[in-house]
Amino acid sequence: MKKTVLLTVAAVALLAGYGAAFADTSPDQDLKTWHTYFDKKFPGVDLQEYSNGVYAIDKVSRDSWEAIEEFPPYEPMIEDGEAMWNKPFANGKTYASCFHGTPAVADKFPYWDLSRKMVISLPLAINECRKANGEKPLKYAKGPITRLLAYMAYESRGQVTDVKIPNKAAMAAYKDGRRYYFTRRGQLNFSCATCHVQNAGMHVRTDILSPALGHTTGWPVYRSKWGDLGTLHRRFKGCHKQMRAKPPKPQIAEMRNLEYFLTYMSNGIEYNGPSARK
Amino acid sequence: MKRKLTVILLAAVCTIGISACQANNSKPDSAAAATAAASTGSKADYESALAAANKAMKEAKSVDGLWRDTGKILKGAEKAAKAGDYAKATKMAKTAEFQGHMGASQAKSQKNVGTPSWMN
Repeated sequence: MKKTVLLTVAAVALLAGYGAAFADTSPDQDLKTWHTYFDKKFPGVDLQEYSNGVYAIDKVSRDSWEAIEEFPPYEPMIEDGEAMWNKPFANGKTYASCFHGTPAVADKFPYWDLSRKMVISLPLAINECRKANGEKPLKYAKGPITRLLAYMAYESRGQVTDVKIPNKAAMAAYKDGRRYYFTRRGQLNFSCATCHVQNAGMHVRTDILSPALGHTTGWPVYRSKWGDLGTLHRRFKGCHKQMRAKPPKPQIAEMRNLEYFLTYMSNGIEYNGPSARK
Repeated sequence: MKRKLTVILLAAVCTIGISACQANNSKPDSAAAATAAASTGSKADYESALAAANKAMKEAKSVDGLWRDTGKILKGAEKAAKAGDYAKATKMAKTAEFQGHMGASQAKSQKNVGTPSWMN
């Protein structure tokens, strides 16, 4: 029965197509649209509050989250990350040699690399640093990279999201990320926006869907569901699975472009990672 | 709650869909027909369904439209065929073919999406 319903939903949706109108808007226009949209949806919620995800809009879950944050589950992981930052590679250099000596670089990522013509995310830069120093790259979704990211995020707290789009090629990457964000995919025919824009604040069973604004500021995240830290691209993968779409690999160009767009949509909001979520 | 969610989802999808129905020329009719068709359970039927499923999946992959479970369903079909249950294997392969066609149609319909008008 369940299978039949799902197939019917998918069939109706696909045969019908997707009739919404789309204008070719600029990033600035998009940002204004997002702010206005969420202002109307959640009146009285300050822009900076969106860095706290669903806890910006739901008092009950906020209370339990604040209790969790009194003894943050990610705290020991920040210390692990600090040890990784300070431990020299086999060649004697450290991560500091790749990041101008400071772990507080969250507001520099993601950025458009003018010479390589691609979006560079922080996890990608970490692995490129490792490779340049003769070390093996780390896995992108979970594990040691999340420790290092946690330390770097912690040191970057208070920095403000400020993604720039310097040229036409970068604009193409931004638009690719935007297209990805609004693309319906998977057996449930959902897009990222279906949950986190259109239905933000609504319940999915016992969970409340978090608003898209501020979605990129708190990573890596300690999710109670994972019992561990995970990266933004790990969550991207999870969202795809929930939509019943084939999940993409972390850090492929499409996912970095998606991060580029989504982070731009959080421009002006402070970084507050690492953070804890349900 | 579960039933309510399903009804809401179905209603929403229908509402979105009806207005755009005429604009979309992609019709996965062969896939739907294939799913509806009863399998006779022969090896030849299975092989034909498997080839069609692989072709549909390849098409879905080429447009980044693969669904989560299509590959698993096809593997299940291969497993059933190995066990000699061609009726089950054919049915599963046809489901995979259906999903492949649907995934490809879905991805093609989403080519030029951007910030939707309902956000304004």
